[in-house]
Amino acid sequence: MAKGKLPMRERYRLLTRDLDWTPTYVKPEDVYPYTRYEGIKIHDWDKWEDPFRLTVDSYCKYQAEKDKKLYAVIDGFAQGQGHLSLTDARYVNSLKLFLCGVTPLEYAAHRHFAYLARHLDGAGGRFAALCQSIDELRHAQTETHTISQYNKYYGGLHNFGQMHDRVWYLSVPKSFFEDGISAGPFEFLTAISFSFEYLLTNLLFVPFMSGASFNGDLATMTFGFSAQSDESRHMTLGLEVIKFMLEQDEANVPIVQDWIDKWFWRGYRLLGLVAAMMDYMLPKKIMSWKEAFELYMEKQMLEGLFPDLEYYGIRPPRHIQQAITEKEYMSHQVYWILYQFSHAANFNTTVPPREELDWMSEVYPDTFDRHYRPLWERARDLQEQGKRFFFNGLPMLCQVCQIPMGFTEPGDPSTICVRTSDFRDERFNFCSDGCKWIFDREPEKYVQAWLPVHQIYQGNCGGSTIPEVLNWYGFADGDGGEYLTSPDKLNWDKWHTGAVVGGA
Amino acid sequence: MTVKALYDYDFPSKDRQEVYGDDILVNVMWTNNPMLCSAACFRTPKAMSWADFKAQMIDPWAASDPDYDPSAPEGWQVDGEGFDPADDTSLDDAGVGHKGLITFRT
Repeated sequence: MAKGKLPMRERYRLLTRDLDWTPTYVKPEDVYPYTRYEGIKIHDWDKWEDPFRLTVDSYCKYQAEKDKKLYAVIDGFAQGQGHLSLTDARYVNSLKLFLCGVTPLEYAAHRHFAYLARHLDGAGGRFAALCQSIDELRHAQTETHTISQYNKYYGGLHNFGQMHDRVWYLSVPKSFFEDGISAGPFEFLTAISFSFEYLLTNLLFVPFMSGASFNGDLATMTFGFSAQSDESRHMTLGLEVIKFMLEQDEANVPIVQDWIDKWFWRGYRLLGLVAAMMDYMLPKKIMSWKEAFELYMEKQMLEGLFPDLEYYGIRPPRHIQQAITEKEYMSHQVYWILYQFSHAANFNTTVPPREELDWMSEVYPDTFDRHYRPLWERARDLQEQGKRFFFNGLPMLCQVCQIPMGFTEPGDPSTICVRTSDFRDERFNFCSDGCKWIFDREPEKYVQAWLPVHQIYQGNCGGSTIPEVLNWYGFADGDGGEYLTSPDKLNWDKWHTGAVVGGA
Repeated sequence: MTVKALYDYDFPSKDRQEVYGDDILVNVMWTNNPMLCSAACFRTPKAMSWADFKAQMIDPWAASDPDYDPSAPEGWQVDGEGFDPADDTSLDDAGVGHKGLITFRT
């Protein structure tokens, strides 16, 4: 046989799909027991197009090179005290949100893709899941390493695993992902690979990574670049999975449509936290949430992707119109929640400086001056009188998205929206038609929700007083509350007037 | 629709009333004050009188807004229905249910 390097495509075929076999001693459904009960019909697994088309050795070589470059940048940034060149210490709050809210999701994705790498019937799908599983583990690690340097100097970053599991607002991302991994494999792929990594990915990553770039955080920006080629494979996989299911059997179409409807809304509500971060936590703005939504959702997805999917009989997500209406309100409503509950969060909040309020008046001309600016002006007045405004109590939560019920009726920004359902003689409350619709499809699932407020009242969160609960969360003094009087702000001011960084 | 699963999928609600013994969860919303971003949730004995609930639970919470005047609330409703209980009526007798919503205006 002639020696020489085989083309990549051929090596991929030989080293992945060609190593697969069809079981004869046992039935396929006994080897792969989880791929039938959701009702998705697959006739030919070989039709699965795998966007990775890599072999394990080439994957490792390629990723090792990328990681080497990233770690060189992280080291250089840390050794050069790069954090002192940020736009402001206030920026670090977005990293606290990212590390506690997103990084644990990467790890959860790693675990679940590893499960799929065992349990999908086809070799193409299993290999794609294996590669993505390793990607997600690498991202969890590289994000932790990128952000850990800030932990020496700033609060709120020291206990992110425990916080993710326990803190009230982090139940929003945690419950989102657990909803996905407790679903069947095809629903998970629709939820995470398609809805999260394709439909909504730019709305998640652009705010954080461009936010890093605009605010002097070279380390996190470089992480973003390093993850970009992985993310584009994940996006491709998401689209391939959807097309694969739709092409395999017409009976799959309504099932997939239902999942797209559900997971668009689940993911969109989760992105409320990102919207708030984007408009309020970045001292130097990239663009507004509204502009990002118009570009990445309305233009790229509704005008780009969905006309293509129409061919298969797929229409845009069920509650998309409400999301479009809410682009004028959502970031303000979510940050208003975070502002008055930040005494119980691992980040600091504050009234935006006047020039940022002016920027919001400009980019939200129809809503900001009318509905939100007066609230911020009053909050600032109260603060100046020494009465920093906090919500003195626990909020009512949505049973599905678990966000405090601070969203308004579609088209009526002055009336809080409350929806309810009765199931087995028990009442359940929701923030929106989207969350109610999701509950009504599978009430047996969502009645089990671990709602932070209700768990505190059941005595499962360390005690009945706020200090006891915060202690159970793993907080240290200064992790939360007002920014202007926070240790982060006081240190930042000291460091920029010549005091020793890290000194007493 | 029900959950599709490979086994009999049947689990109790995590917040069913019996978990709270003689207590219930009650949500309260100040409808025309956007300062308070959402309704508040309280755990309270079913037998608590309306006057005590108002004085011990609602008033301290609503006072998060320093302009709150405890005599100002009006237009009380429970789950969208008008509501005007006597001070000594218990929440249970007044028709306030587990995870129900009390609203008022000022």
